[in-house]
Amino acid sequence: MAAQTGVRGLLRYLPVLPAVVLLAVFLAGPVLWALHASFTNAGLTGRNARNPDWIGLENYQRLLVDPVFPLSLGLTVLFVLGSAVLGQNLLGLALAVLMRRARRAVSAVVGTTVVAAWVLPEIVAAFAAYAYFSRDGTLNQLLGGLGLDQPDWLYSWPMAAVVLANIWRGTAFSMLVYRAALNDVPSEVAEAAQMDGAGGWQRLAYITLPMIRGSIATNLMLITLQTLAVFTLIWVMTAGGPANASSTLPILAYQEAFRFGDIGYGTAVATVLILIGAVFGAVYIRLLRESKR
Amino acid sequence: MTAPAKASRVVPPGEATARTRGPYRSSTPADVALLLLGACFLLPLLWLVLASLDADASHETRVPAQAGLENFAAIMTPALLLQPLWNSLVLSTGTAAVTLVAAVLAAYPLSRYRSRFNTPFMYTVLFGTCLPITAIMVPVYGLFVQLELLDSMPATILFMAATALPMAIWMTRNFMDAVPASLEEAAWVDGASRMTALRTIVLPLMRQGLGVVFIFVFIQAWGNFFVPFVLLLSEANQPAAVSIFTFFGQHGAVAYGQLAAFSILYSLPVLALYVIVAKGAGSPFALSGAVRG
Amino acid sequence: MRGPALKTMSLIASALVVLTACTPGAPEDGSKTLKVVYQKTDSFTALETMFQAAKQEFEAANQGVTVELQPIQGNDDDYGTKLALALRSPSTAPDVFYEDTFKVRSDVDAGYLLKLDSHLEGWEDWDKFDDGAKAAGRADDGGTYAVPLGTDTRAIWYNRKVFEAAGITLPWQPRNWQEILDTARKIKANDPSVVPFNMYAGKGTGEGTVMQGFYELLYGTGSMLYDEETKKWVVGSAGFTDSLAFLKTLYDEGLAVTPAEALDANVWKKVFGEWFPNAKLGATVEGSYAPSFWQDGGSYEWPGYEQDMGVAPFPTQDGGGPGAVSMSGGWTLAIGAGTKEPDLAFSFLSTAMNRDNSLAFTLDSSQIAVRSDVAEDSGYQSANPFVKDVSELVSVTRYRPATSDYPRISAAVQEATEAVITGARSPEQAASDYDAAVADIVGGDNTIRK
Repeated sequence: MAAQTGVRGLLRYLPVLPAVVLLAVFLAGPVLWALHASFTNAGLTGRNARNPDWIGLENYQRLLVDPVFPLSLGLTVLFVLGSAVLGQNLLGLALAVLMRRARRAVSAVVGTTVVAAWVLPEIVAAFAAYAYFSRDGTLNQLLGGLGLDQPDWLYSWPMAAVVLANIWRGTAFSMLVYRAALNDVPSEVAEAAQMDGAGGWQRLAYITLPMIRGSIATNLMLITLQTLAVFTLIWVMTAGGPANASSTLPILAYQEAFRFGDIGYGTAVATVLILIGAVFGAVYIRLLRESKR
Repeated sequence: MTAPAKASRVVPPGEATARTRGPYRSSTPADVALLLLGACFLLPLLWLVLASLDADASHETRVPAQAGLENFAAIMTPALLLQPLWNSLVLSTGTAAVTLVAAVLAAYPLSRYRSRFNTPFMYTVLFGTCLPITAIMVPVYGLFVQLELLDSMPATILFMAATALPMAIWMTRNFMDAVPASLEEAAWVDGASRMTALRTIVLPLMRQGLGVVFIFVFIQAWGNFFVPFVLLLSEANQPAAVSIFTFFGQHGAVAYGQLAAFSILYSLPVLALYVIVAKGAGSPFALSGAVRG
Repeated sequence: MRGPALKTMSLIASALVVLTACTPGAPEDGSKTLKVVYQKTDSFTALETMFQAAKQEFEAANQGVTVELQPIQGNDDDYGTKLALALRSPSTAPDVFYEDTFKVRSDVDAGYLLKLDSHLEGWEDWDKFDDGAKAAGRADDGGTYAVPLGTDTRAIWYNRKVFEAAGITLPWQPRNWQEILDTARKIKANDPSVVPFNMYAGKGTGEGTVMQGFYELLYGTGSMLYDEETKKWVVGSAGFTDSLAFLKTLYDEGLAVTPAEALDANVWKKVFGEWFPNAKLGATVEGSYAPSFWQDGGSYEWPGYEQDMGVAPFPTQDGGGPGAVSMSGGWTLAIGAGTKEPDLAFSFLSTAMNRDNSLAFTLDSSQIAVRSDVAEDSGYQSANPFVKDVSELVSVTRYRPATSDYPRISAAVQEATEAVITGARSPEQAASDYDAAVADIVGGDNTIRK
């Protein structure tokens, strides 16, 4: 293929145009709109719906003094760390390792169950989790059967409930990634180590994990980004309550913009979330480029 | 469903890892541990199935006193079931079709021409996949108000296509790279244009890959709740994900059995499609086409 | 083997675009469509009935006009959100819609509502509307933007069986807050499985929390939410803290439902559908529309509710002042400012609200009539034994401040009650959080310490 020059080169790239237009209008457009709207007091109703004013950094200053925002930021960090970085990641790795040692039939059945929770439409998964954690739900039936306390999870421990629900829903992804990664570890390496007398845990810690560290990094980035954006699960289970005790940033942005009709402020919250996503995205792409070199 | 295609190399769950089983033997402790974990994942799903067969279901998991299909019969009405499912179908098929066409067109020059433009473009696209979509819903609402696109199915399809596009371009290009360029060159000699060669030579060879991309986008669109929840307002346009929430959600009727029955009918298509992708589409080849990084 | 994949896909795509673009379709043949948006839930279908009747009547009288009914499923909060989302865009704004009185002002400010004065002049029924109710549809410029469907008052509804079982003399009429607590404790001591006296709180029940709960307390302390004279929002009042403290007592002592139940947006369905009929609830503050749920054809039919239930005005804090407090709200019909057919839209509105339809709706939803011809109807007066009692409360009733900031202030009050009943904040802390929130919403200059 010859190196292209000028007009001909551009023409060759013409087919990219529909994709570029779609991305520009519907992804870049809203991001730019968000930056603009977060500097206004646009509202859903009232006089600010007709003529929003430019109020500069006021929305961002309000973020700093609003007691709910730091709480929400903290809950988001807790949610991501608890359900993605620790929960899904470690459980996914454990499942993948166990599946290599278990009987084929067992690992197929368990694998299918784990994946089923992930393939279900999110609203269905959310309803199932809601029923599971509700006061007279399955979890409390189990605890009652064991003679233990039966708290009202969605009220007394809302964060624990949504974190566990998100682990249940999302672990399949990490499991699939790690199964693929473990498959790529050449069996000779493990065999050699076994001959040297290394036990199962040692092999995992010193040989296998370092060999799949690329996959681990990729997986961590992707599940972090996915978890950061979780809305439906929390919305259906607790709607952010009680008293904002499970209101992560996506919930807060929705509530402020649509429930309380403060589009400007809600957009400022959303902008913060977009920025956090952008930072993680940039790190992720760096990781990928480095691993390519 | 969070972007299944994001796995670096995804292996379907049922697929045994016989390829590199290595030194490990099947061990009973591993079986037991795995079954225990699997049971935890199964429990919330169990409620869904049992409740759907129980005419007076509650949040409890229990074997129905009288199992029957009353719940399914109760929801089999055009307004409750068929219209929302039809809307879901239109939305998901439309999104998957638009995405696939745009992705194929964009992938072709990116795969076949060498240019300084390619790498930055691909990384920009990848960065797009990192955007937390829930964060941009407030600005997208604002944008749709300004463009007067609110409650419009075609506009919602285009938006959902844009959100799926980055991943689809990435996957499609990987599939296309796997088709040797030498085959097309023969067609050019016969006087075929590039687009004709793409249509008659390249696409047939990668149709499995195209099927995978189509189904992945379809599954994601089918399960999406938040986007139609914000952008489609009238009942006549709402897909199943939204109608299930308004009819049975926290604020709707308290009919758990019907909710479970509806959930199951609504989930079946995606479960079936997942099985097709995982089992049928020549898995290792098809699925490893997903981001290779 | 030709490669039909791309071709097929583009065919599907274009077919879909054509398909979806066609279905809603703007009619080209001179026929006209009116879009009507209103609320409908599994326990509120009175409006659905009214609009279905009006649609038939109107379409028969106006050939070529189609009335497109678009009910929104959801509680008051969900309905408000969805309606606001639709109103903001001219392409989705309805022609005629169901609008809560407290949103009228802010939606007028936003430019969503059509001024109706010129239409009302030619409508003979308009003279029959009660003046107080007319005010609910009026904006700062003196123009009328919404037509009231009905109004309501709020009182204590109590289950006579539960009270009798606890040995309380009937009819019951508490003279102050203390007597409420005394009675509630007595009921609890008699039967701990009964919820003695519930008051809504928290964000789950939304506007119900303030209308059927907090405001009955606040306005009975001599304090208020908004000072009409200075046009400023009241902060730092002892009455506000006292009201929160009263709620705290109710919830802490288990006299009300558990906080977890209170935060469930469906709790009111249990109040009407389960707890009262099963004698599991002593009393609660609810609207004059309560009988609409129990009467024939209601969502929770309860034969004999007339004998089992009693109603009493809510007392002031220490029995002073007028001795009783009530709140009134109500809903209206309004017309979108961007409607292309204002005359047709108003004509539909007046069909929907003619005497017969109004009477049927008023009876179905147990509203307090706002039209003299409905109020005089014998069917209305004998609809249930409580019509007289709840109508008399109109003399002491209060209305919410009709300003465009109100919806957000209300959200702040709900937040304060939620913080208190969950134990997250003390009444004093929650009150000062509220003060800060108010200053934030309206600006410190627009608040007054009282």
